[in-house]
Amino acid sequence: MTQQPETLHYAVSVVGKDRTGIVAGIAEVLFRLGCNIADSSCTMLAGEFAMILIVSHPRPFSKTRLHDELKPACEGLGMSLSVRSLHADEAVRQETSDEICMISVYGADQPGIVYRVTRELAALGINIMDLNTKLIGTAEEPVYVMMLEAAIPEGQTPEGLEALLGDLKRELSVEIGVRIVTPVAF
Amino acid sequence: MPNQPILRYPHPVLKKLCNRVENIDTTILSLVDDLLDTMHAGPGSVGVAAPQIGVTLRVCVVDVSANRHGKDNNYGQLCMINPEIIARDGSAIMREGCMSVPDYTGDVERATAITVNFSEPDGTLREIAASGFEAVAIQHEMDHLDGILFLDRIVSIKTGLFRRKSYA
Repeated sequence: MTQQPETLHYAVSVVGKDRTGIVAGIAEVLFRLGCNIADSSCTMLAGEFAMILIVSHPRPFSKTRLHDELKPACEGLGMSLSVRSLHADEAVRQETSDEICMISVYGADQPGIVYRVTRELAALGINIMDLNTKLIGTAEEPVYVMMLEAAIPEGQTPEGLEALLGDLKRELSVEIGVRIVTPVAF
Repeated sequence: MPNQPILRYPHPVLKKLCNRVENIDTTILSLVDDLLDTMHAGPGSVGVAAPQIGVTLRVCVVDVSANRHGKDNNYGQLCMINPEIIARDGSAIMREGCMSVPDYTGDVERATAITVNFSEPDGTLREIAASGFEAVAIQHEMDHLDGILFLDRIVSIKTGLFRRKSYA
């Protein structure tokens, strides 16, 4: 999509108890306003439905207007709403030429898995692009699963990264695996 | 012949069912050359199908020998006229992208081994048993001959692992 430099972008997030018609209700308001949904990601987390959308509008358009128009729809659906303006340079497509890895972390549930692993990755200069976590297993034996996709810097290998995470893996007694999922373009 | 520009969706040719080649004449040979030139011009390209350069004929080229996933298991440069998959086996998911659909990728399930027959540019009938990455590349290119894009085959939006749990 070619964007005009002056195009305004907003980050919109909507979260609330899942039910049918949430996406349609939000999308209807945006459509009526002439907004474009650029990138978006929506998912069900526990019984909650969470929407994150980057919304643009070709003409000058205030954040207040967008918020005020979405508010009744969100209230009708019992959803929380947040709208943030993006600077023009924030709303550009993020390209990466790095290798993309799937990092899987799982083990007995305990506090700090997300924190410790992501802190380590940040220290290694690794940028997280996508992250999902899920509590599975039973009440007696809860298991925590974290899957994240990250761009690893040039020169790093999955094996090297796995080795760097080895100490943490032993300390937390979790499994940590790293594998390349860089897409193949045909 | 020079390499040709790769058509991008929504160009309508990319959704067309391509016609069989009835005679391998000079037009077809020059199409094969164009496809090869186009494949070699694309950085890292491992295959091009005729509709990607605007020709609705069942011709595609594949060469995975320079790719890290395919370098140890391949038939080299394949010029396939009227290719047909006559057997398929196994299944694996790989994240694919396509020069005709830039800036998007998705997980696609493909057979891991296929038997394909096709005509060579010199008219010889050939049958090969491809596997691994080369099999995936052939299936991707052959899909183009049926107007199928990888977008038509995406099986998950990343979180397939997390579908089952009920919170009721």
